[in-house]
Amino acid sequence: MNSTKITNYLSSHTGQGPGKADLILTNARIYTVDPGRPWAEAVAIKDGRFIAVGGRAEMDALRDEHTREVDLQGRFAMPGLYDMHTHPDLSLAPGYADYLDVGLESPTPDDIAKAILDYAESHPGDGWIYGSYFVHFTFRQAEIEPGCEWLDTVMPDRPVAILDRSWGSMMVNSKALALANITADTPDPGNGFIQRDSITGEATGILIDGAYAMIHAAMPPTPQHALKRAYREGVQYQSSRGVVATKYVHVCEHRLEALKSIDDAGEMTLRVEAAISWQDDIFPVKRRWELLSGERNYYRSARLNANAVKFHFDGVHETRSSYLSSPWPGEEKWRGGLNLTPEHITDMVVDLDRRGIRVISHCTGDGASDLFLDAVAEARRVNGGGVRHQCAHSTLLLEENLARFKELNVTAEFSPAVWYPSDFAYARTQAGEEKMKTLYNFKGVLDAGGVAVMGTDWPVSNINPWIGFETMVTRKNPWGDYSEPFYGEPISLEQAIKVMTINGAWSMGIEHKAGSIEVGKSADLIVLDRNLFELEPQGNLHNTRVDITVMEGEIVWDRLDQFEQAELEAVWKSDQVPTFYERMED
Amino acid sequence: MSKKFSPIPVTVISGFLGAGKTTLLNRILNGDHGRKIAVMVNDFGEINIDSQLIVSAEQSMVNLSNGCICCTVESDLIEQLHKLISLRERPEYILIETSGVSDPSKVVNTLCYPQFRQQLTVDAVVAIIDADNFSSLDGDRRKLAMDQLSVADIVVINKTDLATTRQVESFRQQWLYPYARVFETQFADIPVELLLGTELFETNHSPSKSGHQCNANCDHNHNQQFATYSWESDQPLSLSKLRHALKQLPENLYRAKGFVYLAESPKHRCKVHLVGSRVEIEKEERWQQMPKNQLVMIGWNNLDAAHLNQALENCYS
Repeated sequence: MNSTKITNYLSSHTGQGPGKADLILTNARIYTVDPGRPWAEAVAIKDGRFIAVGGRAEMDALRDEHTREVDLQGRFAMPGLYDMHTHPDLSLAPGYADYLDVGLESPTPDDIAKAILDYAESHPGDGWIYGSYFVHFTFRQAEIEPGCEWLDTVMPDRPVAILDRSWGSMMVNSKALALANITADTPDPGNGFIQRDSITGEATGILIDGAYAMIHAAMPPTPQHALKRAYREGVQYQSSRGVVATKYVHVCEHRLEALKSIDDAGEMTLRVEAAISWQDDIFPVKRRWELLSGERNYYRSARLNANAVKFHFDGVHETRSSYLSSPWPGEEKWRGGLNLTPEHITDMVVDLDRRGIRVISHCTGDGASDLFLDAVAEARRVNGGGVRHQCAHSTLLLEENLARFKELNVTAEFSPAVWYPSDFAYARTQAGEEKMKTLYNFKGVLDAGGVAVMGTDWPVSNINPWIGFETMVTRKNPWGDYSEPFYGEPISLEQAIKVMTINGAWSMGIEHKAGSIEVGKSADLIVLDRNLFELEPQGNLHNTRVDITVMEGEIVWDRLDQFEQAELEAVWKSDQVPTFYERMED
Repeated sequence: MSKKFSPIPVTVISGFLGAGKTTLLNRILNGDHGRKIAVMVNDFGEINIDSQLIVSAEQSMVNLSNGCICCTVESDLIEQLHKLISLRERPEYILIETSGVSDPSKVVNTLCYPQFRQQLTVDAVVAIIDADNFSSLDGDRRKLAMDQLSVADIVVINKTDLATTRQVESFRQQWLYPYARVFETQFADIPVELLLGTELFETNHSPSKSGHQCNANCDHNHNQQFATYSWESDQPLSLSKLRHALKQLPENLYRAKGFVYLAESPKHRCKVHLVGSRVEIEKEERWQQMPKNQLVMIGWNNLDAAHLNQALENCYS
């Protein structure tokens, strides 16, 4: 690791480096995403910005004795990618938190008791013992009723919570119930329940599905070391796949702290817009209002900002809780659910818009996005032009709303990246054939002049952005698992490149200084192992290898170890990058 | 949500492919039992309905002339349940088949969600086991088998011609837990009464049709039929003793129903619902008359009335 935190800040009269170009990249086929000059052969970079984009000859005047020059040997280059909705913390941090892992396939109650006691000994104190897993079957065999009565005999004085193997229930002891304030009078959540004694109504210590959240809310936050490791690996992976900017949608003060420590260490090799969670349904945000009133600026740098808020407006397609414009198929009245009233979201959009904070609103149903666009329209009426808000997921959109994205300056963000046939994608196609025809309607938004971006929404879909990139253009399964194309219309390669680059920059409000290869813009560029314009996208784009990622003129990723000379040495090396799935790239 | 209907009892039937679930469901769907039963299956592929019975059919629902409905769960159990509940002619009973790949405990949990509490009640969870194949399960199938058994109220061992007594015995040793209620059969020949609790407890139920009323003087053998046992007493019972006693009932006693007078809740009537190894005792409204215990129990073949009487009298507080 090469700590290259830039401390030479550039301002009107200071910070400019001496001499001419710092770095010249030549002999490349560069697709610039600048309509004025779509293709170039070479770029010159100084102080993190492009100072020339053009033919090789144009670079001559910009070269001096300190200039480094790299011959890209005819390879294809383009602006870096923008993943506008993802969650490395939710994907990885729980696994890194050093929670209790009983470590047996079918542990008996005795095995679990021993594991709890061992964990308590190696983690002394009065803190939570949280982990996995127990198996209902082995409790039945041992003639023990799982619940707080048994767990209290094992560990009475520290809170304990153990998940079951099939993730359907959680067993907690009395101490955990008390800390979570779960009593006979506690109402059940809508998406689960508290198992109770049928006579006394007291909780038995078995919590089903959505009732876990009460325990999670009472537990201390995910440890800082786990959050930091999760984000660091996410950043590493994203840089290695050419991502230069991303949105981590759902943060709290602890997550911002972890992100700041990565940034402070000079390891934030992409731009991060972090969105503060408006609800406590994933994790509690204790300092929400402090963050919104200004504490968020404490974390601010060129690479990190928390000037966004994430709303969980409606539900998901799998459970028919997405809020549709008309009842779900087979239902007379059920249109899905909203977690916030339309008035709540309208007032909040108006308020946050005035504060300069972007609202990223989870809207999977076409009824939810209709209401969200109405809320933005009200903000525009009250505040005039303001922040570019973001309609997250946009799984279904009403035809009538396609033009409103442009009119209201709202980003249509499409995620997760599953617009190709897969078991996973088909499980989300229940809203009726008519609606499915326009699933993930990139084309509709783009044709109406709006801005569409993509988000991997990891762990809901793969964090490798190239899979969504390919399938935007093909709507087919990249591995050939299914022969038929998926619902919805493909877009052209040129359109998809814009979605992956300049559109992302627009959705972050930085399109004037990043997102395309133009003089004066941030020198963000990726060099690929193939030319996207000279291949059949189906099966050949998702496995693109990024050879080099340049971020603000700095080489942050160097797959082939071409830049071992100290001054250009990449921040991340190929042997450091984790693999999270079997099918990440091939 | 409407409260004017009493909740529809639901029985969940789990088992791997080939265990005999389909044979059983086909028999129920085509049977002449006079019940409006809705059967929810994973897909219609396995189901074989007599075409002459079909009154109407749409994509995911088939109506039969015997009052039954057969529907597919497709990908969404919650939605199909809502559909069944909101039918103008509500089914009297719902049977849900869980496929060989899905976890029946998740289905049972869903039925207990607050949104269904006034509408549905879990009557029984039955695991159909093919003793022949059970010992060779590994990996995820082994885990799923544990899920099926751990949530089961009644375990049906469906013997094929191939299963030897030793296989059945080895299944019992490896897989069964204390106080499991087991029903052994062949060709999935499971009495409907075992699956649908309502049948046996009806007031106009005629013992001659499918059962016999046992009493303390009754020591004869009644094979291949249901026997019932009734118990009444006006002394209050201890909740913990009663729970313990009901758990330890004989293996062939499958159902019990009635009201009890508990020392822990003397002013309120408490309802008992026992299916196999699951016992539910719930507090209901205040006593309208003198409190008393009134239980009816149902077993297969033979019930030892004296033993049951003793077991219940031991519960006095």
